[in-house]
Amino acid sequence: MYALALRLLRLDRRIIFLLVGLATLLPLLYPIGLPIRVSPEVQKVYDYMEQLPSGTLVLLSFDFEPGGKPELAPMAIALLRHAFQRELKVLGMTLWPAGTGLAESLLAQVAHERGKQRGADYVYLGYAPGDSNAIISMGQDFHAAFPTDYYGTKISDIPLLAKIRSLRDIPYVISLTVGFPGIDTWYVYGKEKHGFELGGGCTAVSAPRFYPLLHTGQINGLLSGLRGAAEYEILLGQEGKAVAGMDAQSATHFLIIALLALCNSVYFLTRHTRGGR
Amino acid sequence: MSTSLLCGVWIAVGLSLFTYTFLYKDNPFFKLAEHIFVGVSVGYLLTITHYEVIVKKLYTPMVYQGNGWLIIPTLLGFMMLAHVIPRLSWMSRITFAFVLGMSSGIAIPRIISSFILQQVQGTMKPLITVSENSWLFTLANLNSLLILVGVVSVLFYFFFSIEHTGAVRRVARIGIYFLMVSFGAAFGYTVMARMSLLIGRFDELITYSSAAYGYATLVSLAAVIIGLAWWERGQRTGAAEGEMKEDNNSV
Repeated sequence: MYALALRLLRLDRRIIFLLVGLATLLPLLYPIGLPIRVSPEVQKVYDYMEQLPSGTLVLLSFDFEPGGKPELAPMAIALLRHAFQRELKVLGMTLWPAGTGLAESLLAQVAHERGKQRGADYVYLGYAPGDSNAIISMGQDFHAAFPTDYYGTKISDIPLLAKIRSLRDIPYVISLTVGFPGIDTWYVYGKEKHGFELGGGCTAVSAPRFYPLLHTGQINGLLSGLRGAAEYEILLGQEGKAVAGMDAQSATHFLIIALLALCNSVYFLTRHTRGGR
Repeated sequence: MSTSLLCGVWIAVGLSLFTYTFLYKDNPFFKLAEHIFVGVSVGYLLTITHYEVIVKKLYTPMVYQGNGWLIIPTLLGFMMLAHVIPRLSWMSRITFAFVLGMSSGIAIPRIISSFILQQVQGTMKPLITVSENSWLFTLANLNSLLILVGVVSVLFYFFFSIEHTGAVRRVARIGIYFLMVSFGAAFGYTVMARMSLLIGRFDELITYSSAAYGYATLVSLAAVIIGLAWWERGQRTGAAEGEMKEDNNSV
């Protein structure tokens, strides 16, 4: 046992990489279908979307760039599908310059899939420079902040936005966040002043930052990481890439827990040889 | 399928596999992918910023819509660039002063309200539920108690004006446990996020391994393995030749 522990201490780290790779790849090729429980914070976003009357404008801020795509794109797709299914009108934008094209392709992809028309059912405004200043500007005069949409159409010529004067006229905003600017920026400079309801989605690594906002009711719900996206897909009854990835996620988590347990066992078995107490 | 899409797929697959070769060891394939990534990211960001900000928000409104007042932020922007010219760097201070003053004025009251006052309010929630004839201690109350104890004990831990002895030490100790739990949760979420990235990449690599994409993943993987083996062989031969030369020199 002791000899094995010593051998494990000298284990080539590439074997661990290989194990993680296999734990990810095999469940993707051969799904197991482990159960996924829906958390209350995801349920709240879903329920809020459900109770919005059809025709309500929802602003979806794609505050991420391609680095956040694996976690946030499935979330965006699920939210867009839900919004279009409920006949809500979608207003898309981004506070991240590198996310401009990605956001446009996601919005156009789901709109095409659901047979929705640009200008009538959804509008894509593109990138709003200035982080917090962009939100402040949208709160003061929406048409001045965005004179045209992403494709160059004048905002005043888009019927969907004709009556929108400021952020006060938008009942629900959802920010899909990979960092700053994101949910917190929307809260501080948007919701607190203009009173709309705010929901959020974020990468798993930034989720602990937003739970205090959830606890105090500053945001009404939170989708965190691939797991949050998978839960939303389950609620929607349309399993997509997030649900498909959850088996792999669980398998890698099991592997990492096993490796942590193994490392600690080896540490305790061999500590006397290293002069430990 | 369009040729441009197919080219994009092959490039994406090739660069992903090149990047993963770093897990074996540092090598020229990884370095190539790394340099392409940096170059393309900066180029893309510059192009988007130029079009979305300079063209759409400045040039078009100023030239075609007659918004002449935009000359003021433009001048302020140029003054900021003067920072790189030592003789004119004083001009940049005006812009920095403007930005700093405006940002502080906007941000400070809102951040205090959002992240201090409202969070303090959230920390002080009822510790018991009072109904008509009874007092209850529910799970929600337990959560409130945990949050209160956590906040107070962690604040004690970071309170350095008095020596951590006696009761203060014990409370600070509890604060450490709360901090450890939060670090553990943050690490767990970080692992989850990194694994999600790997899953996302593998998912696309699996998609691109089909016949529709010309078996891009499988062919690229084989090419990368052969390339790595060839490079490794070259490294070993080079090292062996170096050793022989050293031996000859010493003789």
